[in-house]
Amino acid sequence: MKKVMITLTVNDDEYTVATLPNRTLLEVLRDDLNLTGTKEGCGEGICGACTVLLDGLPARSCLLIITEAVGRKITTIEGLSKDGKLDLAQEAFIENHAIQCGFCSSGMILTAYSLLKENPSPTEEDIRFAISGNICRCTGYAKIVEAIKTLSAERR
Amino acid sequence: MRLPPLDIFEPNTKKDALSILDRLAKKTKIIGGGTELTILLKLGLLTPAHLMSLKAIRSLDGIRTTKKEVIIGCSTTLREIGSSSLINLRFKSVAQAARLVAAPPVQNMATIGGNILQDTRCIYRNQSDLFRSGIKRCYKTGGNMCHAAKGARRCFSVYQGDMAPSLISFNSKAKLERKGSHRLVALADLFSGRGEAPFLMQENEMLTEIIIPLPGGRYGSSYEKLRIRKGLDYPLVSVAACFSEKEGGRSDKIRIVIGAAGSGPKIVSEELSFAQSERIPVDDMSRIVEIAASTAEIVDNLSVPAMYRRKMVKVLAKRALEDSFRAMKENN
Repeated sequence: MKKVMITLTVNDDEYTVATLPNRTLLEVLRDDLNLTGTKEGCGEGICGACTVLLDGLPARSCLLIITEAVGRKITTIEGLSKDGKLDLAQEAFIENHAIQCGFCSSGMILTAYSLLKENPSPTEEDIRFAISGNICRCTGYAKIVEAIKTLSAERR
Repeated sequence: MRLPPLDIFEPNTKKDALSILDRLAKKTKIIGGGTELTILLKLGLLTPAHLMSLKAIRSLDGIRTTKKEVIIGCSTTLREIGSSSLINLRFKSVAQAARLVAAPPVQNMATIGGNILQDTRCIYRNQSDLFRSGIKRCYKTGGNMCHAAKGARRCFSVYQGDMAPSLISFNSKAKLERKGSHRLVALADLFSGRGEAPFLMQENEMLTEIIIPLPGGRYGSSYEKLRIRKGLDYPLVSVAACFSEKEGGRSDKIRIVIGAAGSGPKIVSEELSFAQSERIPVDDMSRIVEIAASTAEIVDNLSVPAMYRRKMVKVLAKRALEDSFRAMKENN
């Protein structure tokens, strides 16, 4: 097994990485690029803690073999804030107390961000469907749904 | 969990991909979205020397139509299928199935080819190395016993693909290609029904297209799925139904395909004569539901008891029948 040289586009920056091919995007983000906002939970695509946006859509970085990420536009939680200012989605989660332990929050916020880009006025059903792949063991989801609703109202 | 050592091929054309398969099929696994394969690699259930990615082959991606059929490329994502207005309009149960696979982030990555060709599962096999090291080898892992069905002479692992049942209910076909040739088979004939080796494909063949014939006359379809954790689980039982009216309404046909109730989809096909009625007659409903239940082959090898899954075959079959009948009535 030989290392391969790949170029990734993460948060609008290009990174050239020499990596073994048997690694996932999650491993490279955390270990090589030091973007540790993306979390490893179950490691088998169930919990959603590792969610990143691939070409704007939520995806499991723990299931994406690194070479499959080449040529895609990757957004991690670090990519949402601009010039030190948090994105509205991040602000809404803080203001609505939709974060407790915080382990699911990166994935949850990215999923909410993507949902609202695609559908600025989601119903509660749309919101619950969108976040159905992100498990939260603290909040019971009520505050999270509330935060996303507030955000959608603000954007309207 | 880490991935085992492997190398990646990234062919740019279908021809190159088929050449690689021709030379190295025994050591190579094809990767579509990777949502299934990566887990099997991490668990050590697969240890190929090479993976072959199809992402650069654009001709394998997308939905197109001809006068008689709809053709879906093997690399088309479940999101594309679930949100396609054409699929929602003409093949409702196919779109429903795509939207019920795991959760949206998985649907954004997973492909129809990968979903159809997912291996069978069993609670005794789809576990960590540590778990498996503590139990005897079974039929699926090279031994000669079954942990789920004591005394069984074969493997009872379960086919839990969501897409195949609804596609089969529309009599879909699969295009299989290998270097220098291709063949078309009924999708239903792709399944061996054997848990040890669930697909009737040559090692050097690749599933490239799914072809759904456009039904004539009025028809309606529906897909029902049982799972405990909505948004995450594979089906514990599923039922796809396609109700079609034939010969100007003089006769009609129901095709029910049951998923997660055996090592391949189970098919029930019945000729009927109540399309002109407003409701499905109670006797006909009971008869079809009983046939569906007797066709299912369920043992205790998933996360809920077999008895519950057997009961739910009837419940889901009834719901799918009613929904597909209603959809047919609305489809003028």
